[in-house]
Amino acid sequence: MNRRVYLDHNASTPVHPEVLQAMLPYFSERFGNPSSVHGFGREARDGMETAREQIADFLKVSKDEIVFTSGGTESDNLGIKGLAAARGSGHIIASQIEHHAVLRTVQTLEEQGFTATYLPVDGDGMVNPDDLKKALRADTILVSLMGANSEVGTLQPIREIGRITREAGVPLHVDGVQTFGKVPIDVGAFGIDLLSFSGHKIYGPKGVAGLFIRKGTKMASIQHGGEHERRRRAGTENVAGIVGLGKAVEIRNRDMAVEGARLTALRDRLWEGVRAGVAEVRLNGHPTERLPGTCNMCFHNIESESVVLGLDLKGIGVSAGSACTSGNVEPSYVLVAMGLPLDWAMGSVRCSLGRGTTAEDIEYVIESVVPLVGKLKAQSPVAGSARA
Amino acid sequence: MRYSDTLIDHFRNPRNAGMMREPDGVGEGEFTQCMDLARFYLRVRDGRVEEARFQAYGCGPTLAACSAGTEVAVGTALEALAEIEEGRIEAAVDGLPPERRHAAEVVALALRAAARDAMTRRGVH
Repeated sequence: MNRRVYLDHNASTPVHPEVLQAMLPYFSERFGNPSSVHGFGREARDGMETAREQIADFLKVSKDEIVFTSGGTESDNLGIKGLAAARGSGHIIASQIEHHAVLRTVQTLEEQGFTATYLPVDGDGMVNPDDLKKALRADTILVSLMGANSEVGTLQPIREIGRITREAGVPLHVDGVQTFGKVPIDVGAFGIDLLSFSGHKIYGPKGVAGLFIRKGTKMASIQHGGEHERRRRAGTENVAGIVGLGKAVEIRNRDMAVEGARLTALRDRLWEGVRAGVAEVRLNGHPTERLPGTCNMCFHNIESESVVLGLDLKGIGVSAGSACTSGNVEPSYVLVAMGLPLDWAMGSVRCSLGRGTTAEDIEYVIESVVPLVGKLKAQSPVAGSARA
Repeated sequence: MRYSDTLIDHFRNPRNAGMMREPDGVGEGEFTQCMDLARFYLRVRDGRVEEARFQAYGCGPTLAACSAGTEVAVGTALEALAEIEEGRIEAAVDGLPPERRHAAEVVALALRAAARDAMTRRGVH
């Protein structure tokens, strides 16, 4: 049996053992409905409120400003649609490389009469704050930008973006699903009004997430039913999941800085090792302003899925930038927006490292990638020629 | 998506990969929707394929199907290879998921083209 190395932490992370321990009682003895007034309900509510405090402490905000949801996608939808519904009409600004949870939400609002501007990014995947300044209009009701791109890991200049939106008096939503718990986020200093975050990207469970809503932000509910979450998100809360999310955040609060430095070193070693062994490879994303564990590489004139399959046979789990579905393949829209030619963009592979990744794992990946790419190149009829 | 053991074996240990010098026939197949490209080289003796080699750009199943395609081609009469159908290639890798059937299509297309090229060079139409 091959060694197994999981390098797809931007997709999902394993639940931390301490998180699992914290969650377990809420599946059995503390199973009550947190809306119930009796003791069983109060136990569940206490667990949930502890999690709310853990998250509020991490973000240095009030616990009343945290709303729990079912996932990052719902958090993005609630933040964007909720604010749009409260305004009724207007102009929204996002970037071209947002996650589909944001892009498709904004596009849906466009179909309902809202207008939108999608900011370009540079070759490193970064938005230029000057482009935002130029895009702002008198009727702009929201700016929605990701903290970091999930594919290439580039961190957006949110502090500067927040300064601009504050001066303009426009609310700022940050899709923080990839940044939350990985790099410091100061919602106060950054001028963030809405922040989406999710559990399973930070060693918490899947199916639970949250949205920070700055006090005073005009929002409408987009899901109707009971009066849960201070009437901002109807539906019985996922108590065990929320408890797990809170614990995961507490652990990130404790470990983030040390872990970030460790992952940055491993990430850079991975890139150096691959670059030393493979001709015609490029690193995607900002060289330094990037998520600690994200290393996205393009292999010229090789289809990324072949690399993913080849590595899978070695027990290594990475993610392909372009995926062939029903005989149709689209290169990553993120890489295309960054200006990569097709013959490079088709060969992108994302390695995202996490707390279980060791130096030995990285050496094994390098030892596996280099001959695999060499073999695929030798088989390729287009290697050495442009095919864009 | 699950691939057969045979497909995985061809991907892991491709047979007859690489180009051939002075072939008797060369043919390409392209599946433009996903940019897959297969190129086959044939060496022919007495109207049958004696040796086949391939080069390919594409997803894992396409590379595996090319490898299997060379094995199918060897020993086959040019006239038969010029009419080969996708089903033969798919069978040679023990099946393909529906969303990967293009792998067999691109290989069959390339083998047919290579066989016809060889026939043309030999003056057989």
